[in-house]
Amino acid sequence: MEENSNTAMRSFFQMRHVTRKFGGLMAVSDFSITIERGELMGLIGPNGAGKTTVFNMITGMLRPTAGDISWKGENITRLPTHLITARGIARTFQNIKLFADMSVLENVMVSCHYPLDSSFLAAMLGLAKHRREEKRIREHSLKYLVEAGLAPFAFEKAQNLPYGLQRKLEIARALATEPGMLLLDEPAAGMNPMEKMELAAFIRRIREKNGITVFLIEHDMKFVMNICERIKVINYGQSIAEGSPDEIRRDPEVISAYLGGASRAQG
Amino acid sequence: MSLTLFLQQLINGVSLGSLYALIAIGYTMVYGILRLINFAHGDLLMVAAYAGMYGVLLFSLPWFISFPLAVMATGALGILLDRAAYKPLRQAPRISLLISAIGASFLMENLALVLIGGVPKPFPRPDFFGYVIKAGDLHILVLTIYSPIITLLLVLGLLYIVFKTKAGKAMRAASLDFEATRLMGINLDRIIALTFLIGSSLAAASGIMWAMKYPQINPFMGVIPGFKAFIAAVIGGIGNIVGAVLGGFLLGLCEILIVALLPDLAEYRDAFAFLILIGVLLFRPTGIMGEPIIQ
Amino acid sequence: MSEKLKFWLNVASLVLLFGVLFLFSRYGSGYQIRILNNIAIFITLAVSYNLVNGVCGLLHLGPNGFIAIGAYTSALLSMTPAEKQLNFIIEHAIWPINVIQVPFVVSLIAAGVAAASVAFLISFPVLRVRGDYLAIVTLGFGEVIRVLCNAAQSVTNGPLGLKGLQAHTNLWWSWGVATLAVAAIQRLINSNYGLAMKAIREDETAARAMGVDPFQRLMLAFLISAFFSGIAGGLLAHLITTISPGLFTFLLTFNLLIMIVVGGLGSTTGSIIGAVLFAWGGEALRIVERPMEIGPFTIPGIPGMRMVIFSLILMLVILFVRKGIMGRSEFSWDALASKFAGWRRTQTPP
Repeated sequence: MEENSNTAMRSFFQMRHVTRKFGGLMAVSDFSITIERGELMGLIGPNGAGKTTVFNMITGMLRPTAGDISWKGENITRLPTHLITARGIARTFQNIKLFADMSVLENVMVSCHYPLDSSFLAAMLGLAKHRREEKRIREHSLKYLVEAGLAPFAFEKAQNLPYGLQRKLEIARALATEPGMLLLDEPAAGMNPMEKMELAAFIRRIREKNGITVFLIEHDMKFVMNICERIKVINYGQSIAEGSPDEIRRDPEVISAYLGGASRAQG
Repeated sequence: MSLTLFLQQLINGVSLGSLYALIAIGYTMVYGILRLINFAHGDLLMVAAYAGMYGVLLFSLPWFISFPLAVMATGALGILLDRAAYKPLRQAPRISLLISAIGASFLMENLALVLIGGVPKPFPRPDFFGYVIKAGDLHILVLTIYSPIITLLLVLGLLYIVFKTKAGKAMRAASLDFEATRLMGINLDRIIALTFLIGSSLAAASGIMWAMKYPQINPFMGVIPGFKAFIAAVIGGIGNIVGAVLGGFLLGLCEILIVALLPDLAEYRDAFAFLILIGVLLFRPTGIMGEPIIQ
Repeated sequence: MSEKLKFWLNVASLVLLFGVLFLFSRYGSGYQIRILNNIAIFITLAVSYNLVNGVCGLLHLGPNGFIAIGAYTSALLSMTPAEKQLNFIIEHAIWPINVIQVPFVVSLIAAGVAAASVAFLISFPVLRVRGDYLAIVTLGFGEVIRVLCNAAQSVTNGPLGLKGLQAHTNLWWSWGVATLAVAAIQRLINSNYGLAMKAIREDETAARAMGVDPFQRLMLAFLISAFFSGIAGGLLAHLITTISPGLFTFLLTFNLLIMIVVGGLGSTTGSIIGAVLFAWGGEALRIVERPMEIGPFTIPGIPGMRMVIFSLILMLVILFVRKGIMGRSEFSWDALASKFAGWRRTQTPP
């Protein structure tokens, strides 16, 4: 017991025996994972395996039926989403959930919202303090747009952007919350090989520059094997393997879960 | 309070509840499939009452022809209401649908006001429903006893349709998964029309009985019963037909008994109903028959 | 266009507005002044209502309750004890209502605070739900408040209402409040607070994920809306000098809904336009409710026709022109200037 809690304290991010039931259906069962600071972790599994459910539980959108989640030593299992974001875990969504009718810049500005210094009264009275803060938020947000290469589109409505740029915006606004860990839900979906390469480079860059830990869900095997240092495999809500890309590639359980008969036919 | 009085109020409560139940079914069926609160539903009572009245007074039809005709006409009006006010907004955000429903409700009420006038008109109650049974100290209008019976018969008929016919199966499927039902090749438009037809007809039946119970009808008579029936539907679990019936009876009983036991608070009667609604929505929004929310 | 130029354009517009009001206050008829007062009060109500329904995207159906709270609070505080005694004939007013009296401006602020306080209390239950549930819960609260006003004989004088209020409301009060309300609310919408509210409207889940606390932000909108609605209620009370619970029914909510939907849900400018159209249209449409004489014929007035027309307009807008007049855009000097430049270009010969 003592040792477990100490391990929890030392671990950057940890999920322990997390389970999620929907009525009779076990969406996720006894899922545990430890992620260290600065890691590039992948979560893969067949469709419907429970990957997004795991993300939803981490970010407080779903409550685990059992188990707990800790981040930097704090138990975040029952925290509401916005507080988890404030604590430093941000995410993108599988189906892009941008603020469609708002401009690209405004989408990022929303992320700069929570550590607001000036009160709403200052806003309504138009005080200088408020105007200064608005300026700061604007400049801060523009920085993220520049980094993502979206600055030329700052005043376009988010819904008018081409798909690839929308995905970039998803990531940019998550980054603007200045997270310690970034959860990416199928970031490469719908991208061509060129865009995927750019994305991989981008992810590595944010890890190097900002020291952000990345935990991503992906279907594209090549992408995951290429970029992730460690991979966790989940099937029918249960963890079936964990390890380096090479280990996962050779794990018989993973192969049978994913590829079924194909590899047997080949090999 | 004497036993006789209590018994009388009990019967009144059940009777009132049966009227609420019939109206509540319409709300719940439409909400189940379209996720729409049909604000204009309560006004259908009013239409049926006026139709029934004019059938008797203007066209000299006997009540057993005029009333069913009124019910059918109102049922058809329900379909028309959907076609005009809700169908164009199937893909629109929910707020638009609600606004359209509110607009339709106000339109119907004020159209009736313009065409018929706001002065309450007396409803021709047939003697068949009108004589009073005396049992000892108990004085009961025979309508009060007929209402729950008629309601039960209608509900049984409805349950048969919903659970034993193909159309009913389609309705149940549509309330569970709208898109999948369409993909199965089922003509959703017809199912929706059927839903409105049934729901509106039941509300019409209730409207006629309501008019016989409180024989002064006016263009706004459907507002309060409509809202109370909605509360009943929510209490029972919105989307659930049995729940709507249960909720209707429960609300009718509570309303009569609370007023009987605490006559000083009679004025606050309507406020109670709203507070019950708010309470249910906050603490058990899925109602009696629904499943508790997992989150 | 430079910020400085815009600022001076705004100042000039305000000067123009108040100049026109001054002229009306001196030379206008009682009828015209009443309409202008109505317009100002409707503007305040519509812009506050739009903050919750348009900007935050909640279907709040209970503003009538807050307007009632504001009207009654302001009326009860501004009436002299003697006036109150004259009114409370069935049951005496309870203490301290029967003895208290404050200046008009204090009663207005109290009206706003009272409405906002009630909004604060009910925001805890109300903001736990969304969509249809929120609509019904707020509708329910609006009705509960009205029923309470009707039943609490010793507080509000029940169904008899309050008569003989001083006609404190004049063009300066009504338009002054309207200007302040529009300025303050628009500034809020343009700030990061407003951005958060719009984000909640667009996608609440995503907003949460970006660190926005929906409860805090929605409650803020709810409270500010209630505050200004309460003040507007006080202005209304001292304009028509008689209030009763029958004034604050769901019909009032419906009228506000028409204003903001026709004007454009989400646009402050749209709400202003909607309010003006409603006040003016409401007056203009009174014609159909009065007998008209055309030549030798007298067409009888049809009571209720106004509401039929309003309902039709609302339905037509929501069915066909869903975005309303302004959609979600606001008026801006820049947009006006570029339209003007565009027009100029079409005028110059090639």
